[in-house]
This record gives sequence, C-alpha cells and structure tokens, in this order.
Amino acid sequence: MNNVTLPSEVLLPTRYSLLSRLEDWDDQESWKEFFDTYWRLIYSFAVKSGLTGAEAEDVVQETIISVAKDIQKFKRDRNLGSFKGWLRNLTRWRVADQLRKRQQLPTVPLEIAEQESSEGLPVEMPVSAESELVWDDEWRANLLKVALDNLKRTVKEEHFQMFDLYVLKQWPADKVATTLGVTLSRVYLVKFRLAALLKKEIQRLESRELQIK
Amino acid sequence: MSPTDESADLPAPQPIVAEHQLIRLIGVGSGGEVWLARNAIGVYRAVKIVFRKTFPFPKPYEDEFQGLLRFEPLSRQHDGLVDILQIGGDAEAGYFYYVMELADDAHTSQTIDPDYYRPRTLAVDLAERRQLPIGECIRLGAPIASALGFMHRHGLIHRDVKPGNIIFVNGFPKLVDAGLVTEMFKTRSRVGTEGYIAPEGPGTARADIYALGKVLYEISTGKDRNDYPELPVQMGSPSATRDLVQFNKIVLKACRANPRLRYAEAEEMMSDLLAFQFSPRSPFESREIPHWATWLGFGGLLAMIGLIVCLLVRMWSLH
Repeated sequence: MNNVTLPSEVLLPTRYSLLSRLEDWDDQESWKEFFDTYWRLIYSFAVKSGLTGAEAEDVVQETIISVAKDIQKFKRDRNLGSFKGWLRNLTRWRVADQLRKRQQLPTVPLEIAEQESSEGLPVEMPVSAESELVWDDEWRANLLKVALDNLKRTVKEEHFQMFDLYVLKQWPADKVATTLGVTLSRVYLVKFRLAALLKKEIQRLESRELQIK
Repeated sequence: MSPTDESADLPAPQPIVAEHQLIRLIGVGSGGEVWLARNAIGVYRAVKIVFRKTFPFPKPYEDEFQGLLRFEPLSRQHDGLVDILQIGGDAEAGYFYYVMELADDAHTSQTIDPDYYRPRTLAVDLAERRQLPIGECIRLGAPIASALGFMHRHGLIHRDVKPGNIIFVNGFPKLVDAGLVTEMFKTRSRVGTEGYIAPEGPGTARADIYALGKVLYEISTGKDRNDYPELPVQMGSPSATRDLVQFNKIVLKACRANPRLRYAEAEEMMSDLLAFQFSPRSPFESREIPHWATWLGFGGLLAMIGLIVCLLVRMWSLH
C-alpha cells in the first residue's frame, strides 16, 4: 500500500456520484461509511493489479455497486465464504473488466459474474498465491488505516499526537514527553488507553462489515 | 503569444469588462474564471467572471452576486482582504464580474510579464517550500485571522479559507475569492474544500477559524491537512521544535472537533498568534495553572474540610 498514491480528493467526487447512484438504497449513512472504509483497499489493489488511477477509480465505483446489489444474497448464502473473500472476488472481476476494456473486449455482465461465483472464478483471473497475499496485506493495512483515522477523530488531539509519536513513529517515551512538555507517566497512560481503543475499533470494523441494511 | 495578439485565445462570446482588456485566463474555480487584465491606464488587474450557466438554479447565482455587493465596500477597509475595485456584468449574456488588485507574480513579484504571469498564492509557496518557519506562519496567520474577524463582525463569512485563496500583494497576505462569501447562517449550495471543512459543516465563523487552523497546520508542519493532528518526525533544532510544539497549541485550539472548544472569535486567535510572536513562551502558559498552585489549592481545600469537621465535632460535643 505504501507505493500507491491515494488521491483522497480525487476519490471524493467518486463517492458523491456513487452515493447518488445508490440513492435507491435505504441507508445512505452506512454506505458512506462503507465507502470510506473500503475505497482505499479496492483502489490500491486495482493499482497493484496494473491499472491506472482513472481505471482504479472506476473499479472502486463498480465494485461498491456490485456489493450494493448483492449484499442481501451474500448474507443469505453462507456458502459464498467470508466477506473478505467475497469482496476480493468482486474487486478482481471489476479489475478484469477494466483489463478487457483496454483490449476492447466485452466486459462480463454482473449476472454472469454472479453465476461464476458459485462455480469458481473466471478463467481470466486465476487466484494466484501472490494475488491472495497482496489482498491480505492490503486488507490488514487498510483496516489499520481506517481504524487510526477513526481514532484520530474521536480522541483528544494532544493524546493522538503522543500516541502517534510514541507508538506509530516509535520515538522513545522520554523524547515524546520532553518534546511535548508532558510527564512520562502521561505518555504511558495515553498509549495504554489509545492502544485499547484502537484494538476495539479494529474489532468494530471487522464485525461491522455486514451491518448494511 | 506576443503582446500584439494578447486577446487571440479568448473564447467566444467574449465577456465584456468595462475599461479593461482581458489578456489571459489564469485560473478556473468556484463557479468562474479568473483573467489577467489591463485597465485603461495600463495597470494589470485580476478579473473574476462568474457565469450563470455554471449554476444549476438562478437563486445561488443571484445570492453570490448579492454577497459580492455586500463584500465589495468592506474589502477595501481591511488590509487582509483583497481589494475589489469594480463590479459589473451582463444579465442577458448571463455573467457578472469583479475587478481585483492583482497578486504578485510567483517569481518576479511586482514585475508582471503577461505571457508568463503566475499568481503567487500560499498554495504556490507551499508547493515550492513545503514548510514555512514559525515566524513566517505567524506573520501570515495573524493578518488573515484579523481579516476573518473583520468579516465576521460585519456578518459575513468566507466559507473557503485555504492556501489557494490566500494571495500575496506586495508580499502581504490577503484573503481572496469573494465568490463564496455569504451572509452568516444563509445556506448555500456550494461549500468549501474537503479537508478544510469543519466537522459540523461550513457556514459559521467558527468553521472559518477551523479552516484557517488547518492552513496553519499545513504550513507549520509541512504535512497534508488530512494528516492532522500528526506532528512531523523531523522538527529541526531544539528551539525550532519548541516553537513548533507551542505554535501547534494555537492550531489545536483552532481545529477542535467540537466547535465550542475552538476560538470563539478570529480576533482571539490573532491575539494568541501575536502574543506568541512577541513572547518566546506559549500564549497558553500564562493561563495554565502551575503545579505549586494546584498543590496549594488542594492543601487549602483539605485544611478547610478539616476545620469544618473540627467545628462540627466541637458543636456536637457541646450539645
């Protein structure tokens, strides 16, 4: 994920246009949060699969629309596996669509892609071990990034700065205390509290993935 | 483009700006175009042209024009606001315009070559320098905070404070883009720029203060506004680190997620910036209660409780 530039400003219009396309769905707030949670993951995976930024933006849009269309079916049919694996498949199909577009080949309609989901993955996109690893890495990195972003918004800014320097930037605790003009015990206390909150937020994100109506 | 065919690349139909010759399109944004223009006596100006066709409905276009009419006389009363010198338009052709003083050139300052002119904004400075020394951040932040306070006192809000809307005229920072200026509490269809918009949304004085706080965060730390409140890993010398951490306290107070915890007025923020400039200590230090005072207060409280208990015991024993 580190090598991929994530143009949040560029993707924001995508979110607005996407949400307007999803306006028939009841729960706009949940979709907004869903977009904010997963767009980086999908975008980053698409770019690492060899797409350009513009193509990756299309993949983000189309993948989330696929999720919106099929989420109820996925919830009912546990044979489709984990949400993580299901989202990976949807993303890979939309990446394959973009690669077909490049070669002026017809794209696979959503209905056919759905049928393929029960029979295995499309021939054009075999699940390689490497691709699986990339997805797993992106998934973990994305979850941590989203959890940190959410944490940043909910705790006192000074506390996040302490946590960021001590835990994320790995400064020695005494250097953090001296630089920010606080006591050493305060740095430890804040680290302890925010680490617990971060863990809780990651757990919430993992369990929240299927809570869209 | 040679000076003789300066108007050759104008799109048709060409907007007519009284007593000005449009030379070159130098910017596009917030519902309009910005042109480099020359007036009758050869002075270069900036002209913003706002087109009706860029608005989905007539009302916001008309509101924008009304906001501009209110802002125009005020703009020349404060040094931190770009002067609006002339307003005009053509209702039938569907546009209005306003003539402003021109920003310095990004590289040649007041020497303007129309073929190569590029306005100097804070965004341009930031792209080239990434991070500004704290002294410069204060010299930039104080006049802009003062300008915002002036607007707020007159019932106007800016709604789009960001580095691209802070220009330099003779090296002095000024707020520009009256396009989004509106009366307080009036709803508008267009909003500011993502990352500078306060969590509760734009449209209030405190939201303007939040946006300015984000600008100061970017220029003082060299980090993206979306990284807020992270501090840079490399902070420089011990004195530079101390200055950054103290300056950061002003930024944090301006950008609190809860608007009630932010500066109530932009002038209050300006005062803290100026106090910091003239004193090496944090403007907050004088307001912070020292440890000895805390202990003294705590000791006093214990003594008072002890005294009350003694009195109660004494009264009980007398009865």
